[in-house]
Amino acid sequence: MDYDSCNTDLHLGEKTFQLSCHNFIQHSKAIGDGWVWESIEATNEGYMKKVLLKMKNAFGYTIPEQQKIVNEKTYRQEFEVQDTMDLEEIDISSIDLSGREMIRFEYHVVYSSSYQVPVLYFRACDIDGRPLTLEEIWQSVQENYKERLLEGPWETITQQEHPLLGQPFFILHPCRTHELMTPILKGAREEKQSVNYITAWLSMMGPVLGLNLPISYTTATSAQQLD
Amino acid sequence: MKPEDIGEMWFEYEGTPLKWHYPIGLLFDLHASHTALPWSITVHFKDFPEKDLLHCPSNSVIEAHFMSSIKEADALKHKGQVINEMQKKDHKQLWMGLQNDKFDQFWAINRKLMEYPAEEGGFRYIPFRIYQTVSERPFIQKLFRPITAEGQPHTLIDLLKEVSPFAVSQGGGEKKYQVVIHGIEPMLETPVQWLSEHLSYPDNFLHISVIPISTD
Repeated sequence: MDYDSCNTDLHLGEKTFQLSCHNFIQHSKAIGDGWVWESIEATNEGYMKKVLLKMKNAFGYTIPEQQKIVNEKTYRQEFEVQDTMDLEEIDISSIDLSGREMIRFEYHVVYSSSYQVPVLYFRACDIDGRPLTLEEIWQSVQENYKERLLEGPWETITQQEHPLLGQPFFILHPCRTHELMTPILKGAREEKQSVNYITAWLSMMGPVLGLNLPISYTTATSAQQLD
Repeated sequence: MKPEDIGEMWFEYEGTPLKWHYPIGLLFDLHASHTALPWSITVHFKDFPEKDLLHCPSNSVIEAHFMSSIKEADALKHKGQVINEMQKKDHKQLWMGLQNDKFDQFWAINRKLMEYPAEEGGFRYIPFRIYQTVSERPFIQKLFRPITAEGQPHTLIDLLKEVSPFAVSQGGGEKKYQVVIHGIEPMLETPVQWLSEHLSYPDNFLHISVIPISTD
């Protein structure tokens, strides 16, 4: 059964969600931005994932100076970690972090069939694998976004069970997403431009949580044809 | 225990941390359905399992989760129109009725969430989740219409075949699983619209457990 035929009200069907993610990931691979698709075994479902390692210093979280973007692959190369090792099992005591704390952020883009929108799930843990609390994550939210976040249109960040993994994550509640995306999609339609839903949506939601999208995504993903 | 050693409370059964945001009946069906009541569970006051359980620092977190499920169920049934047209005091009445075990107070509001336009024959989509303990995946939830395009009612077995085919025995083979709601096995021919109206939990979802049949 396919319920994707609601194009008139600009809702995102699951098939379109997956296609948009795959186009998005194609560009991510091209620029080494670290997004991957994770499939759920024995199903045609899955989600998009990115891991970001950040250093915490006195001023908050920064991405290491040596690289613009640290993803799992470059981290492994830099610290000579073997591919077979789980990052969480690594003994980093031998690595000189110059007294700075390393935090591992994990972002998942998961489809909500109830609201027919993507939802951004995220969590963070320190080098010992200890999950960060909401207060600690709140500290990592860019200072200039804190006020914006409090005023909404987003609801506050809440802890929820990941629908595919069953583990605790934090989310920005999805029920207002459609409201925020409609003007963007309508505008693009009027200009007869194709827009990748995931690119547009992540550009809007991501920065609040320290996830930035290089501008090349917009040009690259809107040029692609959706099959 | 000394007061300073007391951390956040959590519940566990046979090594499994129990998810407080799931209905208690669902947890029993899923983890201990073959045992006799009363259900013995262990209460912990330290070593909160951060990777398994959501935190529950206050009563308002439980209320927020409940209301979130109510809103999601209505998004599926009525595009959210019924719940959004209600006032805040109605939402509060729903929660207070449940919290204080006042059915009439609860039902006065909840019955509106169970209505649908006569010409539709049912809700837009059925709010349901199917749980099992065979794989890591916590539940399956998909869009599912209660009535076919031709106006025929979909039944429980239609839902299972579409969404979790492993639960139903293939081609007359031996039955491997029980499909349980509120501790009972409804007939597979039951229309899902009827199940949604009459067998939903207070959060307006059908929480369905698929339990392996014990070979004892």
